[in-house]
Amino acid sequence: MSSDTLHHTDHGLATHHPQGGWQRWLYATNHKDIGTLYLWFAFVMFITGGVMALGIRAELFQPGLQYWQPEFFNQLTTLHGIIMVFGAIMPAFTGLANWMLPLMIGAPDMAFARMNNWSFWLLPPAAALLIISLFVPGGAAGGGWTLYPPLSIQSGMGMDLAIFSIHLLGLSSIMGSINIITTVLNMRAPGMTLLKMPLFAWTSLVTAYLLIAVAPVLAGAVTMLLTDRHFDTHFFKAAGGGDPVLFQHIFWFFGHPEVYIMALPAFGIVSQIIPVFSRKPLFGYVSMVYATCSIAILSFMVWGHHMFAVGMPATAQLFFMFLTMLIAVPTGVKVFNWIATMWQGSLTFETPMLFAIGFVCLFTVGGFSGLILSIAPVDTQMHDTYYVVAHFHYVLVAGALFSLFAAVYYWLPKWTGYMYHEGRGKFHFWWSMIWFNVTFFPMHFLGLAGMPRRIPDYALQFTDFNAIASVGAFCFGLGQIFFFFNVIHTIRGGVGPAPSSPWEGGNTLEWEVPSPAPHHTWETPPDLATVQRGLRAQAVE
Amino acid sequence: MTSLAQRNQKMAIKLAVIALLMFGFGYALSPLYVAFCKALGIDQAQASITQSSAALRLEFDTNVASGVAATIQALDTVQMAQAGGIVKTRFLLANTSDQPLKLRAIPSFAPVRAAGLLQKLECFCFDELVLQANERREVTVVLLVADQLPAEMGAATLSYSLQAVAQ
Ligand code: HEM
Ligand SMILES: [Cu+2]
Repeated sequence: MSSDTLHHTDHGLATHHPQGGWQRWLYATNHKDIGTLYLWFAFVMFITGGVMALGIRAELFQPGLQYWQPEFFNQLTTLHGIIMVFGAIMPAFTGLANWMLPLMIGAPDMAFARMNNWSFWLLPPAAALLIISLFVPGGAAGGGWTLYPPLSIQSGMGMDLAIFSIHLLGLSSIMGSINIITTVLNMRAPGMTLLKMPLFAWTSLVTAYLLIAVAPVLAGAVTMLLTDRHFDTHFFKAAGGGDPVLFQHIFWFFGHPEVYIMALPAFGIVSQIIPVFSRKPLFGYVSMVYATCSIAILSFMVWGHHMFAVGMPATAQLFFMFLTMLIAVPTGVKVFNWIATMWQGSLTFETPMLFAIGFVCLFTVGGFSGLILSIAPVDTQMHDTYYVVAHFHYVLVAGALFSLFAAVYYWLPKWTGYMYHEGRGKFHFWWSMIWFNVTFFPMHFLGLAGMPRRIPDYALQFTDFNAIASVGAFCFGLGQIFFFFNVIHTIRGGVGPAPSSPWEGGNTLEWEVPSPAPHHTWETPPDLATVQRGLRAQAVE
Repeated sequence: MTSLAQRNQKMAIKLAVIALLMFGFGYALSPLYVAFCKALGIDQAQASITQSSAALRLEFDTNVASGVAATIQALDTVQMAQAGGIVKTRFLLANTSDQPLKLRAIPSFAPVRAAGLLQKLECFCFDELVLQANERREVTVVLLVADQLPAEMGAATLSYSLQAVAQ
């Protein structure tokens, strides 16, 4: 590859000056602009899904029906789940990959700049479909984010809108993934071999492969739902010879890898951050890479653990149970390596590091409750109780969301050119940490005591813990408004200009370019010495 | 040497093909699932369950008393009984020892309410069975189903336990 051709293709696409105003964003092809769009979109969706979560928690503050009809309550939980997963967490990771990958691997832009624009602009219509569906006759989809038939076959047109929305979201993810894979595989700076890439590049690469493998499967499943609904096919309709359990198999064949699509990029982020604030290279880089790949492969073989309660031959239960427990091994390797990286390092606790450590601690809690649920006979007891709700929020909120906060604080100086206010960042962390636990920890007890999920009303003995959880949720939500003003404050100048490398231990390539990162970087790839310097981050020079 | 743009395009096409194949794989899971259920004898949702409420789901359970060198296996583990219909179900018996065996199958059923609904016309449990060394034999049970089935009944289980007959 010559840098000449590289330059050439780039000229055709993006070298003309950025247009002003809205056109800059509508026609954006620059990876940084698109990354910014993704991140803001994800934030808006996070707030939207969050408001829905508060709607749920308000209803559950006391037993009895206070605010919503049960149907609307179901629509709230369903949309909350879909919006958080597909609208907030996944686009936020894609946005980060867009912003940071070219910078970190020394590429001038993503491989397909125009397709990148498309993959972003499919998202707002998809979100609009979901929101509009609240106002159509019959209301939004109310069968849970898993869309299980027969309910999803019988319900009204809100379900059709959700299905179309999922089609658009899936298409966007697939295009985004093609872009990420091609960029990482073909456009690394000379000298950066695969086993020398920053881990965030690795996890983004593996995640993108997972998405290409499973997003089409989900698209297929919802298409089958759609044709069962309107075109008289009988994939899942028992009356016509189909089987609703088949949907569950197909859904979770997508759904379990999806969980890792939301977890692997988080692993990548904390693997960048922890070494920097420990002032030590990442411990066990190569084992981290292997662990990432093994988790990805295993994730395809464990979907059945979501279906223990459906009725399954004992051998199949054992198969899924043991494979699920096996995933704990590579995950344990990762946790061990993060701790070993911190061990005897010169740690400092700036906000990104706090969120990263918070991630490691809480994700481990979520991992353990997951391990408990993986035991088939236990799961038949806990299935669809609040224990499950507690488990997956420890993984998704403390895992995906906290790692995203860590990433935002870590790279904010690079994005805006200004330092954020450290005190406010720390306040945001501690506030989120405390109220997160107040919200979700009691849910373990509720689940163990037998409170089912997805219900608007509950038995009296569950009152106290529900009240605590609801108070926690509202306080947690309040803290995220604080986060918003934190970011705005930084964009407006923060506590002053940021140097190109604000973190003492920051070695990776993005810290070699000025802050804020100029519109065009690495038009000529970084020289070998620079690349080599960047590799100190994982001690593989 | 091909240019970067060309290499990128090639890779994008390859990845898009993978995505398309995976879309097809989603659909392929449908016939695969049916095949798996058949091959493993796993009970699938049946149209008859949803079509008529006046149907009774019959499940067949088999056991062998300890120390008896024989096996028994229900060949049709689940059947739907229609009101007024006849249900025929098959079992495979095998003597796993080198000696002739004298056996008797002890029937039982649950729930008790099913008692009046099913009448045994023919059953291998009516008689003593003699199985030669290593003999395998298919045996049947024929049931007459009552003309009226209560809607709330749902399912009944019929169980057969092989016991040795004292010689
Ligand atoms: C941050 C504050 C959050 C709060 C207070 C919250 C609260 C809740 C509540 C109360 C439920 C309903 C449980 C039920 O009745 O089954 C729920 C469901 C769910 N939440 Fe969250 N959540 C939050 C964030 C998130 C995030 C960041 C995700 C990320 C993916 C997420 C994903 C889900 C999913 C997938 C469901 C299941 C929906 C369903 O039952 O179909 N939540 N959440
Ligand atoms: Cu799973």
